[in-house]
Amino acid sequence: MFSRLFRRVALLAAPLFLFLLSGCSRADLTVRQSTLDPKGPVAQMQYEVFMDTVWLVVVLFTLVGGLLVYAVIRFRARPTDDPKPIVEEGHGNPLIEIGLITASIGALVFIAIPTLSAIWYDNDVPAEAVPTSKLSAWYQRIGADGKENYAKAVEEQVLEIDVIGKQWWFRFEYPQLGLTSDAKHTVPNEFVIPKGKAVRINLRSEDVIHSFWVPKIAGKVDLMPGRKNYMWIQANETGHYYGQCAEFCGDSHAYMLFRCEVVEPEAFAAWVKAQKAPANEPAAGSKAAKGKELFAAKTCAMCHNITGHFGAGMFAPDLTHVASRKSLAGAWLDNRDPKAQGALEKQTKNTEASVAVDPATLKANLVKWIGSSGTSHGADGKPTKDVKPGNRMHYYAMFGVAGLNVSKQQFTTEELDCLAEYLLTLK
Amino acid sequence: MSHDSHHAPVADKMELAPERSDLGLFRPDRTRGLFDWLTTVDHKKLGIMYGAFAMFFFLVGGVEALAIRTQLARPDNDFITARMYNQLFTMHGTTMIFLGVMPLSAAFFNFLVPLQIGARDVAFPRLNAFSLWTFVAGALVLNGSWLFEFAHLAGWLDGFAWHQALTYTDFAPANGWFSYAPLSGTFGQANAALQAPRFTGVGTDFWIIGIQVLGVASLAASFNFICTIVNMRAKGMTMMRLPVFTWMTLVTSILIILAFPAITVALIELMFDRQFGANFFNPSAGGQPVLWQHLFWIFGHPEVYILVLPAMGIVSEILPTFTGKSLFGYPIIVFSGAVIGFLGFAVWSHHMFTTGLGPVPTAAFSLLTMAIAVPTGVKIFNWLGTIWGGRIRFTPPMVLALGFIWMFMCGGFSGVMHSSAPADAQQQDTYFIVAHFHYVLLGGVLLGLMAGLYFWFPKIFGRMPNAGVAYLASGMVILGFNLAFGPMHYLGLSGMARRTHTYHAGNGWETWNLVSTIGAFILGIGVFIAFVNLVYTAAKGQKCASDPWDGRTLEWSLPSPVPEYNFARSPVIAARDVYFEHKHGVHKLAYENDGGEAGVHMPSQSWFPLLAGFGFLIIGFGMPLMSMGVPHAGWVVIAGVGVMFLGIWLWALEGPGGYMLKTPANPLGTTAAADAATSAH
Amino acid sequence: MSHAADASHAHAPTSTGIDHKKLIMWLFLASDCMFFGTLISTHLLYRKLYPTGFTDAEGHQRFVQNLFNIELTSFSTFILLMSSFLMALAVSAMHKGQVKSFRRNVLGVIFFGLIFLGCQVFEFTHFYHQGLTIQNSVLGSTFYVLTGTHGTHVAIGVLWLILLYFYSFTGKLTGHMAGLDVEIAGLYWHFVDIVWIVIFTAVYLVEYLGPSGFWGNGLPLAK
Repeated sequence: MFSRLFRRVALLAAPLFLFLLSGCSRADLTVRQSTLDPKGPVAQMQYEVFMDTVWLVVVLFTLVGGLLVYAVIRFRARPTDDPKPIVEEGHGNPLIEIGLITASIGALVFIAIPTLSAIWYDNDVPAEAVPTSKLSAWYQRIGADGKENYAKAVEEQVLEIDVIGKQWWFRFEYPQLGLTSDAKHTVPNEFVIPKGKAVRINLRSEDVIHSFWVPKIAGKVDLMPGRKNYMWIQANETGHYYGQCAEFCGDSHAYMLFRCEVVEPEAFAAWVKAQKAPANEPAAGSKAAKGKELFAAKTCAMCHNITGHFGAGMFAPDLTHVASRKSLAGAWLDNRDPKAQGALEKQTKNTEASVAVDPATLKANLVKWIGSSGTSHGADGKPTKDVKPGNRMHYYAMFGVAGLNVSKQQFTTEELDCLAEYLLTLK
Repeated sequence: MSHDSHHAPVADKMELAPERSDLGLFRPDRTRGLFDWLTTVDHKKLGIMYGAFAMFFFLVGGVEALAIRTQLARPDNDFITARMYNQLFTMHGTTMIFLGVMPLSAAFFNFLVPLQIGARDVAFPRLNAFSLWTFVAGALVLNGSWLFEFAHLAGWLDGFAWHQALTYTDFAPANGWFSYAPLSGTFGQANAALQAPRFTGVGTDFWIIGIQVLGVASLAASFNFICTIVNMRAKGMTMMRLPVFTWMTLVTSILIILAFPAITVALIELMFDRQFGANFFNPSAGGQPVLWQHLFWIFGHPEVYILVLPAMGIVSEILPTFTGKSLFGYPIIVFSGAVIGFLGFAVWSHHMFTTGLGPVPTAAFSLLTMAIAVPTGVKIFNWLGTIWGGRIRFTPPMVLALGFIWMFMCGGFSGVMHSSAPADAQQQDTYFIVAHFHYVLLGGVLLGLMAGLYFWFPKIFGRMPNAGVAYLASGMVILGFNLAFGPMHYLGLSGMARRTHTYHAGNGWETWNLVSTIGAFILGIGVFIAFVNLVYTAAKGQKCASDPWDGRTLEWSLPSPVPEYNFARSPVIAARDVYFEHKHGVHKLAYENDGGEAGVHMPSQSWFPLLAGFGFLIIGFGMPLMSMGVPHAGWVVIAGVGVMFLGIWLWALEGPGGYMLKTPANPLGTTAAADAATSAH
Repeated sequence: MSHAADASHAHAPTSTGIDHKKLIMWLFLASDCMFFGTLISTHLLYRKLYPTGFTDAEGHQRFVQNLFNIELTSFSTFILLMSSFLMALAVSAMHKGQVKSFRRNVLGVIFFGLIFLGCQVFEFTHFYHQGLTIQNSVLGSTFYVLTGTHGTHVAIGVLWLILLYFYSFTGKLTGHMAGLDVEIAGLYWHFVDIVWIVIFTAVYLVEYLGPSGFWGNGLPLAK
């Protein structure tokens, strides 16, 4: 009876197995947030250690799993078995036990060694990422002079970025380059780094715990409130990289995405310069000019900074160059041409850097984002569905905040249009 | 003296004269039906109730899981809201761990431990009842949060002034089963009313008090089991003759009494933060949220072994039975179980590799985590050794036990992968981790517990579950489980983060999420079929012999269902696998000269454990009501504390009581002949 | 006859020879060790992290050394230790069946326990008026919750002993089981005392070690 059952199970399992195999062709390893497609030394190191564990596990799985399958088939009860029960008490076999324990320890040493070296390598910018002089990195770190020189070299040659996490968006600051909140130049949700340069990232949180993760560039490190965490990254290929907050942080955790653009060093310099420029002035009498007035009147400026126009608010994302960004609302809404995106989605490759912002998409996104946040009403008279449930803009617009001088706000369709037109000019 | 009337041996407890205690209250000894179940102190009945509640909450947690999977089946889906999704995964995790697996393990502890060690009950029968009712109180508090949530969503609470004053309106917890501060705690300065700003609403307060109450239940049960196993073994039942399941119960109970205080303190601290404006985890006042993580995982990691070890014990009982061969390397299996328990306290920070511990602690915890793979591997080798050279009978429990080994091995291997901290930096908080711990806890523990249910069901109810249905359910569970969680390995490695209620198309996650959802439904239906099969069997199944599997341990020597007094005469043990030896070997079971006409001393039933547990229920609802700002809710809490103390006070004063029950002179019970008749079929 | 049967079954010899009640109390105490260990660790971790006391309502930086009244706390510690001594006498008396001596000693324990609690209430009130609250600093949170939890343990102990004291008048506190019941209460009481010695050392005494407090950055003691 049991052998018949076995045959039936095998018959059922075979097509399932084939289905899974055919499915594997759909398991693309280079998708947007793949951890198996490293583009920088930190991710590379993590990938290599992971692959060490994979090989170990494959070998062990084959050995132990094979033995298990063999034993289950070989030692199944048969009518020809001796009917006398096996009474003698098994005592195990010390030699086998000790041998297997030793072998498992040996197998673990095989992954422990790369693990240890990778832990120190990933922790902070290693010497080899600081190309200061012809002297070896180790030599430089010896002695007081060497240490001092090394620290100086790190300061000069490693780009520092402060990442500040909030519910549910990231703010990026470049203290060495003057892009800071004090200078009213901050970069929300999309940060840019030069190709091939080591970057030290300081991780800070202003509310709950978040986690900084760009899978193709580096594994995650948490933004712990009350702690000064840091990590380092480097990207060796230009491109548009996708990141995501990886620690559960409340209602809209799933919407807390961000992007990393890796560009050539010259392009990076140009980008920094552009970020420091004040916002464009809308043409007088245009819809955009009306939008600018609305931005102040509707208390948007209490939280949002637009350098050159409004400078009070630093609570919310900086909008000085909002129209140049490829995404909106914590990188959840994509501002790029949906058609070009569609073509790219099929490939799901990391070649999206060339796809530019599409003004029509951006405007639609702006209207959707501002309009949905409880501030205006849809056709049925009810507030439209929230793009990011729980976000502050929604809350403040619905209830106002006495302490912040923010009052309850409503928008007409026309007002929304003007506001979007205004924001569209902020390239 | 009030118990005098209870010392003339009776054949049935219904013959007892009503006993009036010193307080003028009647002890509920002469009860049948519902009152009997509410007041029972019989470890077998308590075990059955633990099992019934656990199965019910398993189904609740399963429905929550299916809602989660439905939401994730398609990208950009809006089947449920973000808030509801967060509440569902919080309650799914909490329910499965604290209301599903732990009480189902406790059901086995309760039912089996006294039988396996040759005792007539646990050391403290009323404390045992108290554990059950306190567990039920905690479960009701946790799930009571749903009632408030649904009332809120339906708008029934809108009319109340306190409801309009609430800033946060999440009533079911939405902070994850780990409740990381400060998301679960406070941020900023406390105001005059001692309330500091917070990120979550009263759901978190339900969670805090619910887990606290469940902790009391687990601690009380564990003290009892350790005491029972250490102190109530039959003559000759040395520690190294204990069945492995009993050994694992002992290790698990020790883990509970040493690990739960950490979460108790953490919950007290969090409660002080939320209710009284303290600063334990409030970062703006200098509190360190990372401390919550340390305290939580000092409890949380041993908790993983609290979940796994009982299932390992169950499998270690099933394999020898159905291979017809004694366990390979008994001492090593026992020892490795203890080592796992011990090392389980030294690896907690591997849940925190991404919190910026620094390289030295990260390296240390990485290596210790790898080290814990060794005793786990040893268990798998020894199970393999047990199978080797045996004669495997593929009964439903055996199929499930083999499934356990296979799935647990897969889960163990992915565990080795993220014991390496650099690899974990990419895997932490992704679906790879979700896949890993579901392979361990669902493929491992649930299959193990299901195997245990099918294995001991004939002993518990004297009825045999339908094998065909059992094979079907097992097959669906194993197939559905692998379809649901296998693809998650890929999803995690391709960057899908955990605890996200939706995702965009274009990330390459669509296909496998859909496959996973289909698998989850197959799994859910499989578990449901299995539970229906079991419930039907308990009521109307085919009657079976008392030893249908050719069992090895003491419980199989008893009639099924097991009589109230367990052993008519206390057994004397001369070997490991004593009953198998008795049937086929040289070492025969002997019996002490107790029981018989002189009677066996039975503990009296009591209302007071139930009353004390009810006190916890009132406290559990009162505290969140206080947080909601419901007027006079403080009095509810005080009333709850009063009821609890009253329960304990009356319990202490009524004394253990007890009566004498006549037992058959034949130590194997009177049913030996009936058994022979049944097995002749 | 029925009593003999009762005794033979209810007090059947256990596998280890230790009575169930005693064993479960030891297990509870093991668990309670972890409980207090966690609380004390929390306090010490935060002391190390924030060695400079707290800021009071007027915004003055306050140091722990001139907040604590070490003489008073030493006195209450001594009182608690003496109560343990009396508890040992009470247990011994009950084992010998000397109920009167038991009552005398246990009254002493209750009295000393109440003095300790009184000192703690005084201390809390004093510290509160000095500006240390549960809300205004991490120190306040850890200190009050840790010592308050210990105080709750003492209060439960006192309540337990009061109940035992009155129970001894009912005439039911006799024989072997009575000695055991008192001994278990004693185990609890001694444990709570030992925990206090650890707390007294780790929370109070260490603040006076070293030139500027054990944790550094404290008030210079030498003046």
